[in-house]
Amino acid sequence: MIEVRNLSKYYGNRAAVDDISFDVRAGEIVGFLGPNGAGKTTTLRILTCYMPATSGSARVAGYDVLTESMKVRSAVGYLPESVPLYHEMRVREYLRFRGKLRGLDRAARETAIASVTDKCWLGDVLDRPIGQLSKGYRQRVGLADALLHNPKVLILDEPTVGLDPTQIRETRTLIRALAADHTVILSSHILPEVEATCQRIIMIHNGKLVAQGTPKELRERITSETNLIVEVRAPEAAVADHIRRLNGVTDVQAATHDGWCRLTVAARRDVREDVFNLAVAQHWALRELRREVASLEEFFVKMVAGARGHNGPAARD
Amino acid sequence: MRNIQAVMQRELLALFYSPIGYIVIAGFLLITGVSVWWTDTFAPGKPATLREVFFWTPWILTVIVPAISMRMLSEEYRSGTIETLMTAPLSDFQMVMGKYLAALVFYLVMLATTLLYVVLMGFYGDPDWGATAATYLGLVLIGALFSAFSVFASSLTANQVVAWILGWVPLLLFACLAFFVVRQVEGVWRQVFQQVNVIGRFDDFSKGLITTDGVTFFVGATALFVFLTVKVVESRRWR
Repeated sequence: MIEVRNLSKYYGNRAAVDDISFDVRAGEIVGFLGPNGAGKTTTLRILTCYMPATSGSARVAGYDVLTESMKVRSAVGYLPESVPLYHEMRVREYLRFRGKLRGLDRAARETAIASVTDKCWLGDVLDRPIGQLSKGYRQRVGLADALLHNPKVLILDEPTVGLDPTQIRETRTLIRALAADHTVILSSHILPEVEATCQRIIMIHNGKLVAQGTPKELRERITSETNLIVEVRAPEAAVADHIRRLNGVTDVQAATHDGWCRLTVAARRDVREDVFNLAVAQHWALRELRREVASLEEFFVKMVAGARGHNGPAARD
Repeated sequence: MRNIQAVMQRELLALFYSPIGYIVIAGFLLITGVSVWWTDTFAPGKPATLREVFFWTPWILTVIVPAISMRMLSEEYRSGTIETLMTAPLSDFQMVMGKYLAALVFYLVMLATTLLYVVLMGFYGDPDWGATAATYLGLVLIGALFSAFSVFASSLTANQVVAWILGWVPLLLFACLAFFVVRQVEGVWRQVFQQVNVIGRFDDFSKGLITTDGVTFFVGATALFVFLTVKVVESRRWR
C-alpha cells in the first residue's frame, strides 16, 4: 500500500529525512517512532502530498505522490499533528465542507457524517462550534474528517498527544478497529501506545531509519540475556557469591533492606529454576523471583543514544 | 466546479461570522452616507447624479477591500489549516479561486447596499441611467481588481495586519496617487502611470464612458493577481 524508496528531504543543508526506504502492506498498522525532530512529520507530509521530497520516491495506494498527487490525496485520510480546524465552524458544518472537498454528493455526505459521528463518538457535539470543544473532542473531529471518505490509507501524526488516559484508550480501540479495512500509519513518541496499537514499528532518528520490526523483535534485539529480580533473607555477600557461581550468570548487584537482600541478576539464560533450587538447598527464605523483560523504552533510548543495542552485555547499562 | 463553490461558501460563512465583515460593511455605508450628505447631492436644483459621492469611493476602497481579504490566506497559514486544504483533493487554483470569489461576492453585497441612493435619486430626479450603470460597472471592476490584489497580499504573509498593509499601501500608491502624479512625469513613467491610474479610469466610467481599454485593464490585472496568488501558494510547498 505504501512504498517509500530512498526518500530524502533537505531544508537547505540539513537533512530532515535522509535516504529512508520502507514498505507498509495493506491492512497493517505501522507505528512511526522517533524522538522529536527525527523526521516523522516530514515523512508523513511527503506521503500526504503536502510537500515534495528532495529526492527519492514514494507511492501510496499505487499512485506516485509527486506525479499523481490528486489520486493519492483522494485515497488518504490525514490527521496532522496540530489538528488544525476552523474554530468558527460547527462540527457538522465542518464535516460537510470536508465532505464536499472529498467529492461526496449530498446523500453520500450525510451517510458518511452519520458513520464517522458514530465511530468517533461525536454525537453530542455535532452542532457545537469547534472553538468551544475540548482538545479531546477536537482530535476526534480531526479523526472524523480523516475517515470521512473511507480512505484506503490513514496517516495519523501523533493522534493521541494531549488526550487524557480514557480518551487515549478509546482512540487506541478505534484505531485497532479500523485496521481491518484500512491501512494505518501513525507516528508517535509515546512508546506504550505504539506497542499496544501497532503490529510493526519503524524507528527514525535524525532523519535516518534505525530499526524496523515487530515490538517483540525490537525488544529482543537488546536482550540476548535476561534480568532476574530475587529477594531472599540471607547475608548479602554469601548469597551474591553463590549466585555468581551459577552457570550462565554474568553479573549480580545486591542491596539489603530490613534484613531482606534484593539482587539483580544478569544471566545469559533463564536461571530462575537454579536460583530456586539454590535457595531451597541453602534454606533461604525466598519472597520474590521475577524475570524482567526489556522494554521498548530501553530500546528506544539506546537507539537514540546512538548505541546499537544488539550486542549483549557490553551494550547494556 | 464543486470544489471552488465549497471553498467559496465556507469563506463567505467565515466573513459573515467574523466582526470584521460587519465592521467593513458598516464603515463603508457610513462613509458613503456621509459623502451623500456632505456633497449635498440631494439638494434641490442639482443635477441628479451620484458622481460626487462616488468620486471618493475608490480611495476608500483601497483601504477597505484589503480588510475583507486580509485573513483569507494569512489565517490559514497561521492556524495550520492550510495543511488540511493542501492535502485534500483540491487544486491550488481551485482554492484561490474559491477565496477570491468569496471576497468578490462580499464586495458586491456591500456595493449593492448603495443602490438605495440610486433608487432615491430615481424618485426625486431624472438621473442618466446609462451613466449610472457605467459607474457601477466601474465600481465592480475596481472591486474585482482590488480584491484580487488583496487576496494576493494575504497569500504573502501569515499575519493578517501585514496582509492588510501589503494590500492598501501599494493600491494607494499605484492606483490612486498615480492620478496626481501622471501629469508631472514624462516618457515611460507617464505611460506606466497612465495605465495604472485607477482613479482616472474610473473617472471615465463615472461619466458614462465604457472603453475596451478600461475594461481590459481591469480584467487583465485581476487575472494577473489571481495567477500570482496561485503561484505563491504553490511555491509554499517547495520550501
